[in-house]
Amino acid sequence: MVRFLVRRLANYVVLLFVAVSFTYFVASYFMDPRSNYLSRHPIPPKASIDLSLTAANINDEDPLLGRYWRWLTNIVLHWNWGLSPDQDPVGAAVSGRIGASLQLVTLATILSIVVGVAIGVFTAIRQYRWQDRVLGGLATFFLVIPTAVLALFVVLGAIWINKGLGFRLFYVTGLHSYEGSQFGPWLLDFLQHLVLPTIVLTIISAVTYHLTQRTYLLDTMNADYVRTARAKGLPLNKAIRKHALRTSLIPTAVNVAFSIASVFTGAVITESVFAINGLGRYFVTTIQQNDINGAVCIAAFAGACTLAGALLADVVVAWLDPRVRLS
Amino acid sequence: MADPELSVTTAQMGKDLAHDVGSTGEQVRRTGRLALYTRRFLRRPSAVAGVVVLALLVLFALFGDSLTRWGYDEPDFLSLASPPSGEHLFGTTQGGSDVFALVVRGLGRSLMIGILSSLAITLVAAVVGTAVAFFEGWVEKVGMWILDMLLVIPSFLLIAMIVRSSSGTSGWLWLTLGITAFGWVGYARVLRTLTLSLRELDYVHAARFMGVRSFTIIWRHLIPNLGSVLIIQTVLGVVTAVNSETALSFLGLGIKAPDTSLGTILQMGQGVVQTSPWVLLAPAVALILLTLSVQLIGDGLRDAIDPHSRSGGKA
Amino acid sequence: MTDQILTTTGDHPDGTPPEGLVLPAGAGRLTPATEPVLSVRDLHVSFASEAGTVRAVRGVSFDLLPARTLGIVGESGSGKSVTSLSIMGLLDQNARVEGSIRLKGTELLGKTELEMSKHRGNDMAMVFQDPLSALTPVFSIGDQLAEALDLHQDLTRKQVRDRSVELLDLVGIPNPAERLKSFPHQFSGGMRQRVMIAIAIANDPDVIIADEPTTALDVTIQAQVLEVLKKAQRETGAAVVMITHDLGVVAGVADDVLVMYAGRPVEQAPVDELFARPAMPYTMGLLGAVPRPDRGENRRLVPIQGNPPSLVDLPVGCPFADRCPLVEDRCRTAEPPLAPVPGRVDQRAACVRVDEIVAEGLTFEDVYPVGEAAESGLDGVPREEREVVLEVTDLKKHFPLTKGGFLRRRAGTVKAVDGVTFDVRAGETLALVGESGSGKTTTLLEIMRLQAPQGGTVAVLGKNLAELARPERAALRRELQIVFQDPQSSMDPRLPVYDILAEPLKVHGWSRARTNERISELMRLVGLNPDHVDRFPTQFSGGQRQRIAIARALAVGPRLVVLDEPVSALDVSIQAGVINLLEDLQAQLGVAFLFVAHDLSVIRHISSRTAVMYLGQVVEQGDTEAVFTAPRHPYTQALLSAVPLPDPQLERQRRRVVLQGDLPSPAQEIVGCRFASRCPVRAALPADRRTLCDTVQPGLATGAVPGTDHGAACHYPLTSSAAEDVRVPSRA
Repeated sequence: MVRFLVRRLANYVVLLFVAVSFTYFVASYFMDPRSNYLSRHPIPPKASIDLSLTAANINDEDPLLGRYWRWLTNIVLHWNWGLSPDQDPVGAAVSGRIGASLQLVTLATILSIVVGVAIGVFTAIRQYRWQDRVLGGLATFFLVIPTAVLALFVVLGAIWINKGLGFRLFYVTGLHSYEGSQFGPWLLDFLQHLVLPTIVLTIISAVTYHLTQRTYLLDTMNADYVRTARAKGLPLNKAIRKHALRTSLIPTAVNVAFSIASVFTGAVITESVFAINGLGRYFVTTIQQNDINGAVCIAAFAGACTLAGALLADVVVAWLDPRVRLS
Repeated sequence: MADPELSVTTAQMGKDLAHDVGSTGEQVRRTGRLALYTRRFLRRPSAVAGVVVLALLVLFALFGDSLTRWGYDEPDFLSLASPPSGEHLFGTTQGGSDVFALVVRGLGRSLMIGILSSLAITLVAAVVGTAVAFFEGWVEKVGMWILDMLLVIPSFLLIAMIVRSSSGTSGWLWLTLGITAFGWVGYARVLRTLTLSLRELDYVHAARFMGVRSFTIIWRHLIPNLGSVLIIQTVLGVVTAVNSETALSFLGLGIKAPDTSLGTILQMGQGVVQTSPWVLLAPAVALILLTLSVQLIGDGLRDAIDPHSRSGGKA
Repeated sequence: MTDQILTTTGDHPDGTPPEGLVLPAGAGRLTPATEPVLSVRDLHVSFASEAGTVRAVRGVSFDLLPARTLGIVGESGSGKSVTSLSIMGLLDQNARVEGSIRLKGTELLGKTELEMSKHRGNDMAMVFQDPLSALTPVFSIGDQLAEALDLHQDLTRKQVRDRSVELLDLVGIPNPAERLKSFPHQFSGGMRQRVMIAIAIANDPDVIIADEPTTALDVTIQAQVLEVLKKAQRETGAAVVMITHDLGVVAGVADDVLVMYAGRPVEQAPVDELFARPAMPYTMGLLGAVPRPDRGENRRLVPIQGNPPSLVDLPVGCPFADRCPLVEDRCRTAEPPLAPVPGRVDQRAACVRVDEIVAEGLTFEDVYPVGEAAESGLDGVPREEREVVLEVTDLKKHFPLTKGGFLRRRAGTVKAVDGVTFDVRAGETLALVGESGSGKTTTLLEIMRLQAPQGGTVAVLGKNLAELARPERAALRRELQIVFQDPQSSMDPRLPVYDILAEPLKVHGWSRARTNERISELMRLVGLNPDHVDRFPTQFSGGQRQRIAIARALAVGPRLVVLDEPVSALDVSIQAGVINLLEDLQAQLGVAFLFVAHDLSVIRHISSRTAVMYLGQVVEQGDTEAVFTAPRHPYTQALLSAVPLPDPQLERQRRRVVLQGDLPSPAQEIVGCRFASRCPVRAALPADRRTLCDTVQPGLATGAVPGTDHGAACHYPLTSSAAEDVRVPSRA
């Protein structure tokens, strides 16, 4: 078991290294920090531009391999992920924003799993009845609607409600505005901020859980062993709940394991719409500012999270599924 | 001999019996398949609605600009941020651009990007996916490793990096390229799995044992079987691609002025959501209609071509 | 619908029928002493489907008395499984069930799901066909047994555990206390079926319904499971409904038999009567169509022509009329009821001509025209003088075994084929027989690849595959063709039959005109209408599809056709026609067959030579007659004795060698004889003589019987007199 984990971990480290290096080259090739300066008025002297770029190790006139090597050795030796074009260390910027993303996404992730799986089970048991059709239609709608559209509609609705109420029930930007130190008001304030983005995020991922869980349960509901359970004397509903549901939750658990990793990486669109300074929004900033080191740092963090999720998924399967556990 | 009765669901039974009827019936037409698909497709009202809506959207994108005298890039400086009116059907933006004209143009862009990149993604994914499945041994191992590697970094980040460098009127081409360049990996893996199972079918073995050449087997037996999957995937891929495009443009990382797309208009609308909500409304509705209609068509196709597939699940 | 049972004293002067007899429905006799535990009257089941209303069961009635076994026999689509599921109340919700089902006097139809669940698993229980999927994979065996107990009894944890151990012990699972913690996937198919039986008898049911309980199992395992089922019946005193397509199984276990056709019972009789004097032409046909493992003489099988009718629009009149050789005009006017056969006790048949059949004592030989077998040009040529078309020497194929999803690592080597030697000569049929895991299919695929094997040599028509150049290999493909087991999956459903048959011809460069001609010739050769080449495979029945597959294999005139279980997916009545066709084709064309099968009856019927495989090795080889009548390897003997015979009297007389345990895991390293762990001969040996079995792998010793090449890989081969004792008894 341990040897297996170590081997898989080693493979993941290699995967991550190659993937991040690949990303570094892609970013260095396509992103152009020099243009930041060229669009200023007046354009700063070339020497000063070069000085700043070289200081951040993103000067396109330096050989790419040299830059890559310096970037790599800094990370390996000093855990230094480099500087943004404004000479801010990107490592600190990234770690500083993980917290905000975490606050934003955690609740939504839990909610979407609970709601999505519940609806999935509910509709699978009522396959082709009106509840299934209505919820299925809604799911299709929310599945295809672009996140930005959904988020903006939620904002519109909140503004309409606020107007109707005459006071600000929902905040549409940020996560906090309370300045004091009491917990009660702080929490209330936090929730007032959190509600809207949480609705958006919950809807978006609950829909996926709903549709996949419905498929998984339908697959197992007609399995022979459910019929065996009924032949033993379990009524249909109980047989499904006990035998089919348990088996169908295994693939869902795997998906959950994957999504736990994404809690840390935040949500790009939602953070942008609601002006939350999480990792997602920071990523947009790095791209806009041609911040090669920042963008690559975020990509590396996201990659590490993906792989951690994959590892977690493996462990979850081994834990839940005796066929895997004991073989 | 397995007794099939036991596991017979009613649908299955109906199907089996239909076969029996066929075997004793009259000479049957050879080209029944396409007609059958069409009939099954048309039996779904939602799929038909999808076709109608999509057709209207396409017509709107093609000929909509003749319904307004304003061009998407000719602002009306006399009516800035004005609500919908007879002059400006969907109102104007803060800069005075006619939202109707913008939506016509943006819809065309979104459609173009969505369809082109979905086609390209299917093509690349099909070639890579089947190739990896066909070559056993180290080619397969290395291929799978590379596919894994490309999935480590979320593709959205990579796409954003690529399209950043592009702007101006050729920006949409770069965007298409970017969405394609990192959008095919997941599909390729799905197609590889499918090909692997197709490869083990008895009739593929039979053809191989008869001495039929590999290329002929792929062409005669495998591609037609993958074909339906590819068609469905291409259609549903349009939704994914439109969503990617919208997200990127909305974040200011995709299509930029002077060109426009639905995502770009959304971005304009976001800033004025309190004051001029109409800027937001028209492109949002257009987007919903577009993605929903394509999705309904895709679901309909899936049920028509492959009635046993369980729709709704992820790949 | 008759629910009244009248008392008549005609049959039994003392008024009491023999104890435990299954009463024919409404037969007009009453048992004051024993009430039927299960009583079905005029059961009708229909489904709505896309094609129309499927009338799956149409008027089934029977009574089941305690401790008796009723066999329900029928081919696929006859409605026998639907009958069983409707008794249990396990049909889909869209099924319409009418009639009456009484369990110990209680009407079951119309009960709610909750009410039914009080009966299920309690006073009636069911054993299903496929043990691999019938147990929940994520719960341990102990949990699944405990669930069955807890649902109907109020027991303490300890009582549940004790009872579970007791049950597992009863069904013959070794170390029951430990195995309670195991999960289903850790059991073999046979062991899982034992667990299913343990679950079924957990609450001492009055009725056990076994729906094809051994169909998915190998023949030696089938023998074990049938024994367990009998034991379970003895222990619980339950009445059993045994649903099966296998006439041999019925002959062995049933007291009474109900034959179903197109959703209706067509004949009902005590088992001896039914097999000795069937009165309905369909029953006769079934009995005549089944090949017998105990009959050596090459009696031609009698296929029943045509296919069963569609259950959606049944013809007026007798549903069997279109296939019946005795058909008359009046057969097509009304469906005959199941009526007592005159002059016979307890026998009932649904046929308008039953009077004539009984009066003239017609048997299937009289009813069904027996065709003439084609003459073979090679008949007079002795085997040694025939050309060797395939020579396999010491063939080896080993697979690396990787374990599990999570802990994926190389866990050993599966020696799927490990030193197999045999040859096939022109115009003969060599049968490769073995249970699952014996390596027969791997052997066949290794030959079909036409590549140099991992170990050993394969030579086709004298050409060693290892030394072939590419063009030679391509040319050799013409001489070697294959027919797969499942005709459904061996043909591309998207291509019409014409294209399917043209595929091999195209490969070998036939011109368009010749291809056309050849295809209509082929269609006629396999007994199909050449005008049907534009149809798709799905428009043909299973038997017809297998004929197309055979036509495709013969298209380019091969010298050797490899047949991988070619008839095991077909119903008995259809199977006979395909077997006859294969025999005729061999005689006409002089083609050699390498016939892979697990069904010994079919093998004895069709093959001239037999090689028995066990765990990747040939353990016995020789002329079919010699192998079947004087088996020398204990495994062959056990295999032969496990085959159920479609003859109740023989079944009762014979002694069985029931093998202990399962096939060892294929990855297990075995030093000595591979069969040692299950061998009854070794078990009877003194310890010092066993050492040889445990340490030295026996070779296939031929020449033990002078003048033949009959050989067995055994240190202590059976002499023919010892074999006589338990081998398939013969009436001939």
